[in-house]
Amino acid sequence: MDFFERQDKARRKTKLLVFYFVVAICLLILAAYAAVFAIFGRKEVYDSLGESSFTLWQGDLFFWSALGTLTVIAIGSLVKIHELASGGSAVAQMLDGRLVNSNTTEAHERKLLNVVEEMAIASGIPVPEVYLLENEAGINAFAAGHSTGDAAIGVTRGGIQMLSRDQLQGVIGHEFSHILNGDMRLNLRLMGLIFGILCLTVVGRVLLRTRGKKNPLPLLGLALIVIGFIGVFFGRLIQAAVSRQREFLADAASVQFTRNPDGLAGALKKIGGLESGSKLESPHAQEASHLFFANGLRSAVTGLMATHPPLEERIRALDPAFDGNFPEVTPEIVEPPPIPLAEPRRSQPPPLPPPLPVFPRSEAAGVGIIGTVVAAQALLPDVGRPTTRHLQYAADLRQSLPEALKSAARDPLGASALIYALLLSNDPAAREKQVADLATATSDPIVDETLTIWPATQNITVQAKIPLVDLALPALRQLSPAQFHEFRAAIRTLIECDRQIDLFEYMLQKIVLRHLEPNFLPVPKPVTQYYDLRPLAADCGVLLSAMAYAGQEDSAQAQAAFARGAQLLSRIAKSEIPFLPKVDCDLTRLDAALERLALSVPQIKKNVLNACAETIAADGILQGAEAELLRAIADSLDCPIPPFIPSPPV
Amino acid sequence: MVIGLIVIVLLAFFGVLFVVGIYNALVTLRNRYKNAYAQIDVQLKRRYDLIPNLVETAKGYLAHERGTLEAVIAARNAAASANSRAAQNPGDASAMKELSGAENALTGTLGRLFAIAEAYPDLKANTTMMALMEELTSTENKVSFARQAYNDSVMAYNTRREVFPSNILAGMFNFAPAELFVIEAAEQREAPKVKF
Repeated sequence: MDFFERQDKARRKTKLLVFYFVVAICLLILAAYAAVFAIFGRKEVYDSLGESSFTLWQGDLFFWSALGTLTVIAIGSLVKIHELASGGSAVAQMLDGRLVNSNTTEAHERKLLNVVEEMAIASGIPVPEVYLLENEAGINAFAAGHSTGDAAIGVTRGGIQMLSRDQLQGVIGHEFSHILNGDMRLNLRLMGLIFGILCLTVVGRVLLRTRGKKNPLPLLGLALIVIGFIGVFFGRLIQAAVSRQREFLADAASVQFTRNPDGLAGALKKIGGLESGSKLESPHAQEASHLFFANGLRSAVTGLMATHPPLEERIRALDPAFDGNFPEVTPEIVEPPPIPLAEPRRSQPPPLPPPLPVFPRSEAAGVGIIGTVVAAQALLPDVGRPTTRHLQYAADLRQSLPEALKSAARDPLGASALIYALLLSNDPAAREKQVADLATATSDPIVDETLTIWPATQNITVQAKIPLVDLALPALRQLSPAQFHEFRAAIRTLIECDRQIDLFEYMLQKIVLRHLEPNFLPVPKPVTQYYDLRPLAADCGVLLSAMAYAGQEDSAQAQAAFARGAQLLSRIAKSEIPFLPKVDCDLTRLDAALERLALSVPQIKKNVLNACAETIAADGILQGAEAELLRAIADSLDCPIPPFIPSPPV
Repeated sequence: MVIGLIVIVLLAFFGVLFVVGIYNALVTLRNRYKNAYAQIDVQLKRRYDLIPNLVETAKGYLAHERGTLEAVIAARNAAASANSRAAQNPGDASAMKELSGAENALTGTLGRLFAIAEAYPDLKANTTMMALMEELTSTENKVSFARQAYNDSVMAYNTRREVFPSNILAGMFNFAPAELFVIEAAEQREAPKVKF
């Protein structure tokens, strides 16, 4: 089952979830009615003969109890859904998580961030926000968010201190598989809905923890918990129904990713051996219990109501030789690997290497020039499913990036400068103009930093650009709103400069802004609008034409390239995909086309990406730059493609 | 009478929602400025780590300027401890004022050191010295950028805290006002006057 099928499946599961929820509400109403009846209901009805009879059904009581219950549930759910609209960070804050700074120097946090960075590069998604749950001694983790753009990962303090790097990698791999499978959106919706049911208990728990002399709130809290017990029961049933099976799948995906079952098995064994295990102290643990890596609740819940399969079973699936005994684990902190000292920056920038010859793309395939090549058929099965090869490649790539660029990507000023540097033109005259415009759009220190970083960006391969952008995004999220607006205006200035802008550079800035805007502007959540390819035929035409012109110099060759991709789509759409002249597929139109295509169902996106791949690749082979362009297009459709690992030249 | 009851219940519910909404917004904005302080913290720590190296490198050349060097180290230590206090409680008025004062003092003593170093061409040509000074300048740029972001978040929090419906609740729930991180611009980059 590929990425697109999994996304479809996750969407269908939401409907099942809603059904369970409705059943639960009906039962809750009945339970509430029963409670109200027991207290208020013994109205003895005297009939005309003076004998009393006892009616079980009292319309007005039922009406009031139903109304009350529905109001509480509806308001609870609506409030929660609204709160969670900002994405994974809302969940992390709810659990008292602290954002881990992208340029932290604390050893354990650095270890965690390095693991997350490698996995993000390997999956092709922006590095998610990482939160640390500081007050939790148990070992646990979660991933939450609506899409890969607003995902957040949280790990407990016990987790980062007590797990070795391999074990941490196994756990984070498990969380990444949730991110890539589309589970997260389902989980957030579930959280929103069942909060309504759990409302009373959650409020009760929070009140129970308030302190203060002569504080009546804890008593009220206790009463609310008792009443809310029914809600908890149904909430757990729903959570268990949705999440249990997925945990096995996520474990398997993690092993596929890291090719190291011992890491994940080791983490699970440590949880089993630790006294606090994976238990969470937070009063909100119940609502989010289906999001976590392992069971986070204090009470031992087994069987139908367990949100996670039993630890022994999970370990046995990874390590069949497990004998069921958990080695006693003392809460001992694992020493993190020492952080290498950063190289001091050179006092003058290294001399510029001689400019690389520029190969016109259409020629490169024919002439015996060795470029990095990838077979076109090998592309799309990897979407959303990174493997160990990708992880190894990502680790090596990250290692090989110039230290100056990596440290720049980690703080907000440096990250802004890095993005500006990546958008500077190769042509010196155009670049001068861009720098002049940049100086009016932003302040001098940023321009200086950009010029200092620029030489280093000339030396990196094209494969490193998207990973650098992915690495820079967490720091860019730290910009203040005013700084973000300045950043966005500056990027627009750089793009709109009077020159022929490279399509890839345009896509780079689109990736940056697309993932950054939801943090600063109230962006409406994308709702799937297109279930059929036919209304999108014109947009596909714009996209494929732009791809064709990007890859081929000659218009006849461009038409041939276009035809290759379009024939795939016209068969499915049962209508013609129009080939447009160059003036009609300019960047504005391409932008609009991509926006609309992003709102289609996963299956359509799969077909569109296949068609793009056919069009971009000449002779069925992708050059390095073309592969990266395809990855950038896929990112704007929310389909993360792992980095292309170049096959050795034939 | 029944309608009245429904109206009261609904009003109560919406009232609760309103309060919850304001509370959550204040909590979010408070977390935001605390996170923004963490960025400043990292850059300041880097600055404090660079300064002892700088002083060590300069010591060999500036044998007769021990007073200035010692002043730099003292100012650096004071600023480092002020920073760690402020990091525990970002936005707290007294901690931030102390930090501003200490940072100003440090910038002042560093400025004197650089002014004196102008007279020693050997020192200026030393590659380690040049690298360190460049690092220092870059770090100061980053501090300034992070400070701008922090001050923006503090302003957003303070404004939200003082606006009409929220100011009542802010008092009730103990949301204290946050302090901006101000560095006096006048002293900051004063060019040293060379006296003959």
